[in-house]
Amino acid sequence: MRYITIALAKGRLTELSIALLEGAGLDCSELKENSRKLILSDEKNKVRFFLAKPADVPVYVEYGAADIGIVGKDTLLEEGRDLYEVLNLGFAKCRMCVAGPKELEGKMDSITITRVATKYPEIARTYFRHKRRESVEIIKLSGSVELAPLVGLSEVIVDLVETGRTLKENGLVVLDTIADISARMVVNRVSMKMENERIRKLIDAIRAQLKE
Amino acid sequence: MKRWSIYTPEGVQDILFDQCRIKRKLEAGLRKLFTSYGYIEMETPTIEFYDAFGGEMGLIRQESMYKFCDAKGRLLVLRPDLTIPIARVVATKVREESLPLKCCYIGNTFCFDELGGGKQNEFTQAGVEILGIHSPEADAEVIAMAVKAVKSCGLEDFQIDIGQVNFFKGIMEKTGLSAEEVEQVRELIDRKDFVAVEQVMNRHEVSDDLKALILDLPRLFGNKDILAGISRDPIGEKASAALDYLQKVLDILEDRGMSRYVSVDLGMVQSLNYYTGIVFRGYTYGVGFPILSGGRYDGLVSKFGKDCPATGFSMGINMIMMALERQNRIDNGGCQGILITYEEGGRKFADAYCEKVVAEGGIAELDIGMGGLEACLKYARAKGLEKVVLFRADGSFEAFERSAGL
Repeated sequence: MRYITIALAKGRLTELSIALLEGAGLDCSELKENSRKLILSDEKNKVRFFLAKPADVPVYVEYGAADIGIVGKDTLLEEGRDLYEVLNLGFAKCRMCVAGPKELEGKMDSITITRVATKYPEIARTYFRHKRRESVEIIKLSGSVELAPLVGLSEVIVDLVETGRTLKENGLVVLDTIADISARMVVNRVSMKMENERIRKLIDAIRAQLKE
Repeated sequence: MKRWSIYTPEGVQDILFDQCRIKRKLEAGLRKLFTSYGYIEMETPTIEFYDAFGGEMGLIRQESMYKFCDAKGRLLVLRPDLTIPIARVVATKVREESLPLKCCYIGNTFCFDELGGGKQNEFTQAGVEILGIHSPEADAEVIAMAVKAVKSCGLEDFQIDIGQVNFFKGIMEKTGLSAEEVEQVRELIDRKDFVAVEQVMNRHEVSDDLKALILDLPRLFGNKDILAGISRDPIGEKASAALDYLQKVLDILEDRGMSRYVSVDLGMVQSLNYYTGIVFRGYTYGVGFPILSGGRYDGLVSKFGKDCPATGFSMGINMIMMALERQNRIDNGGCQGILITYEEGGRKFADAYCEKVVAEGGIAELDIGMGGLEACLKYARAKGLEKVVLFRADGSFEAFERSAGL
């Protein structure tokens, strides 16, 4: 039997992803040990796992280097890869938002926004181009995006909002919601066909846990 | 200034030695296969007018074509596809009596932005088209050719999924959704995004059984029993006729011994503006992308001014090579042939022997002044030749075999 390879996003999604896979009957004990091995396996079920940076998970899955991936919808939107998105796992919920200073609240349609700071340039570009029909300058940052409007780098930001606390503490408010975000299970298009039975079984086992 | 002279541009590559030999062998095998089943080969230009693909045609995205201008300022492209040029030829240069026309092609196509996963910006496609006939037999014929083509390349573990876009179109007509909404649902089903399909459907007034069927679409793939499981009452005439047509194609393929390679996917709904009936894609292990795709495109030829039904498929040779490599099915036969060298006065005999070997269908090369036997043996070893033959002035010769360590 061929190995089925699962790519997991390293970080806040990892633990909950492992719990779901264990609930589906996979042996993740090797995965939970703090080992330095890059690829871990469940020999009985012929499944291999590896952890990757979230942004890389859709890439591995698209190329077929991994058959299945578990990753946030934010990463999927940003990477725009050609994949099957088969399950909404429901955890790691938050929203992708446009945020800015309180003065802009309710004025999104009357002002011209020229600069947008974000860690998600593709999401920001698509939103402003298609939904708002505006050409804006996208400034790509790597972290603490909330800083940008405070120091005059941009008028607004596009970022993930979970509780809104960071925004509030810095005098920023949500101006518009772009998308609801949560963890998703994705499958390579070819794997879904060639390993249909095994992958479908896994999907069903995980879906059953979500309904509980 | 940086010198680029020693590099090749991104997305194009040199295909050398063994790789080139293997590629040519695959191409030769496919050409032989297609022509043996009565397909006539066509060659269309590498450069075409942009208008044949983009602009009002709306067939290929502007961003994905290599563009430049001719002397009159008209926009040209490196062909992004081989089917569209054939549609142009059939609409403009083929007389009515010549239809139905079965043709085939092997050639390079160019795509500007598809990098990654073994996808190159220049890649070789091979395929067949049947123009001028609308019949389940013709659709089954191109699928059968696709199966034969993959097998002729040496792959055994592969699968061809067959769908029918009119099934989706028919159901969508029954729902009364707007064209924009239909396109949205199509994208979601194509991504097998079960969650979002449900969200969209819940926003609309659609009968329950129809809604249940649409929600099920991303899951409707597998063996052909799926067709029997679909209730015909809610889906309407168009979708029902689409299923009957698909059933006929599957029956023909069964009679032609193709059942083990084909399965059904009713959720296959790619690019509806191009395909008008049966659609299919081929998959195998080791590559994350389809190795071939095809289907019926009855509306394409008319875009060039003549109504003409058509069906066909094209296969990515580079993808096939990657699959062969990943599945360890590459035949590494090495270089064949012998090298013939000579001492002073032996040239006449060496040349005569070389001509004789070649005339008998073998591969032989004559020493080109390599500088003695040692140099010849070294060359033969590096190239993997079978033997070196040394001719003397009196016409006698000595052979150094690869099996004897050369």
